Amino acid sequence: MESNRYDVVVVGAGIAGLTAAGAAAHQNLKVALVATGPGSFVLGTSSVKAHELLEAGQTHELSEAIAFCREMARLAGCPLEEDAADGRWLPTLLGAFQRVALAPRALWQAAPREGASAAVVGIHGLTTFDENFMADRLNENARRIGSSCIYTAHQISFTRDFGIPVSSVRVAKCFDRDPSFRVEFASALRKAVSGAQYILLPGLLGMNSSAQQIAEFEREVGCAIGELPTLPPSIPSLRLSQRLEGYLRRAGVEFFRGYPVEQIEIHEDSPIRLQVASPGHPMILRGESVVLASGQHSASLLGGQCAGRDQQMHPLTAAGSAMAQNLFVAGSLLDNGSGNSGEAIEILTGYRAGTLAAATRGCYAGR
Amino acid sequence: MRADDFAIDNCLKCSICNTVCPVLSVHPQYPGPKQLGPEMERLRREGIHTDSKWVEYCLGCHRCDVVCPNQVPVSEMIAVAKAEHVKTPVHQLRDWWFARPGLLGELSTIVPSVTNFGLSMKPARALMSKLIQITPERKFPAYTKPSPRKAETNGKERPQFVFFPGCFIRYNRPDLAEKVVNLMDRNGFGTEVAATDCCGVPAVANGAADLARSLARTNIKALAAQVDAGRRIVTTCSSCGHMLKTGFGSLLSEDKELAEGARKVADNTFDLAELLMMQSDEGKLNTDFQKTDVHLAYHAPCHQKSQGTGRPWYHLLGQVPGVSIDDLDAGCCGMSGTFGFKEEKYDVSMAIGQDLFASVRASDPQFVVTECATCQMQIEHGTAVNTMHPVEVLLQAYEGRNSK
Repeated sequence: MESNRYDVVVVGAGIAGLTAAGAAAHQNLKVALVATGPGSFVLGTSSVKAHELLEAGQTHELSEAIAFCREMARLAGCPLEEDAADGRWLPTLLGAFQRVALAPRALWQAAPREGASAAVVGIHGLTTFDENFMADRLNENARRIGSSCIYTAHQISFTRDFGIPVSSVRVAKCFDRDPSFRVEFASALRKAVSGAQYILLPGLLGMNSSAQQIAEFEREVGCAIGELPTLPPSIPSLRLSQRLEGYLRRAGVEFFRGYPVEQIEIHEDSPIRLQVASPGHPMILRGESVVLASGQHSASLLGGQCAGRDQQMHPLTAAGSAMAQNLFVAGSLLDNGSGNSGEAIEILTGYRAGTLAAATRGCYAGR
Repeated sequence: MRADDFAIDNCLKCSICNTVCPVLSVHPQYPGPKQLGPEMERLRREGIHTDSKWVEYCLGCHRCDVVCPNQVPVSEMIAVAKAEHVKTPVHQLRDWWFARPGLLGELSTIVPSVTNFGLSMKPARALMSKLIQITPERKFPAYTKPSPRKAETNGKERPQFVFFPGCFIRYNRPDLAEKVVNLMDRNGFGTEVAATDCCGVPAVANGAADLARSLARTNIKALAAQVDAGRRIVTTCSSCGHMLKTGFGSLLSEDKELAEGARKVADNTFDLAELLMMQSDEGKLNTDFQKTDVHLAYHAPCHQKSQGTGRPWYHLLGQVPGVSIDDLDAGCCGMSGTFGFKEEKYDVSMAIGQDLFASVRASDPQFVVTECATCQMQIEHGTAVNTMHPVEVLLQAYEGRNSK
């Protein structure tokens, strides 16, 4: 009387964990995902920089992994746009530009457009975003990258009270739940930016809004809108996280949120037992195969004995042998050699580990 | 350095807690869990006066704790500040009663029909609104004469489980206790209904830490003795379950022996659905269900989510042939026990519930199923869709009657 049994258990809800769970669920398996918070990617822009892709090596497998991840995001209603060959210049938090190969559509649309006039719109009272600073920096940096895009600063005020200072979380939640607010917001933007070809806003177009809802909002405003990165937590990244989780839930993945895996037990030729530190007695999950994708937390689960991983994504003992045939690692964990290749490695290893974990299903009689 | 100082430094100021706070998203002035919890806790520990009326607006839903990537006990810190907050005399009086559902229950069930009649009358509710700021918008749940305070069993010689009913089942729905015993029986578990007191969640929520501590003491004594006698504890109210499983929060950290008892209770407490789901995983669940054609929508209470057990009721009810069930997954209902009854908080409570109400309307179920009594009240109040306790649905599936 103790177990929740799954074909595949994934630990960690970052890009690697979500991709691994998606890859396993894609094989019609019973999948669970255990995680404490959302992945650390919600603190950043959840984009893959062009140089990361180069460092990760543009292999066929990486293209396949990215295609899978993009398809998952599209079905989740939060599409990722890609330009693997050249990347696109996208604005950073400080108004510089960097080459990005893959990013959520709302951020992707913030790329400079040749000869266009872009309105950088701030919100009165939103102290974490300064439209004048941003427009100045973007104008200066656009020249550096040889773009002729012109940025002008504008500000709008909301008639509704979002606190002092205005909280982007409150605005985003109101955007999600109140259609009349979206109408007011759109009309304020239309009035403020007549003449601009497109609008740049700090990321606040909904915590859980779909691409379709954002597209409807753009139609209401009458031009394209791009979101700019903000201080953490990044609302476009939280949106990606929430929508991917929603999609995976619909695909049958069971989420266990809030408490860390405190112990894993590997027994030869039988499912792996995971002990989750839920309140009271620990909750026990059993996975025929397990993917660890929770970064340093995973490393400590392996008792510090892990000496890297093999091509099959098995963690290795100091002696160089696989710890278990049904245990896999994904994410930046143990990829010391990968340098600064962040999200690209997350996607690649998540996809590979999820696929391999799914393939070991049915190996054990202990079901 | 105190051992618990570590928890403050664990807060990285990432603000992810603020993104899930039901109150912050609807109330423009509410500072949110990050500020009221770890940020103000730093000052409180330095002895700097930080009393804020906003701590009174914390629902105690634990969503901030659950989402925190670093396991900072955010809402526990707010609960401590709540206990120290100085209230207005009117709120003090009102919250004194709200902290004591057990006492309210005892008094109300002396002659339940008189209580129910009184509480349903408009003038009485208007008076309560005027005198002690209880909103006249809501109806109180009907009280029922409880079965005498003696242990009930389902006839097994030596019950393996003791059922912790909680105040709502004891004073308002004693029939549910019988139904729990019946369900347990059908799955081979002998069960006795405990004659315990309030779990203490309402006391914590209303800032009555001393009361919560004394309730915890009584309950731990009674329940630890049961555990020593080889029994385990089963609950079906998610808030009682949360309290028992978290070792009564940090209420007892100073008393080593009680804390040890609390640990024993926590380790041996199971939510009924969690227990049945474990049976199901082992292939031991009694699945002798009759076909029950009904469309249901399941709402997971916050204190169910905070137990970290997945969605056992959703999966159990989904096993009944003929049942179609949606997981509403639309956040907090906004009721939070006594919170929604407070006049000054009624609008906040209803604003929080809007997402859930919209989700109920979209699902268009015959019944919303949820194990929390006050979530039930809020859903019925906000949507006019009837609610059921999952225990009732499952029992009806065994008995082969169509719903209600």
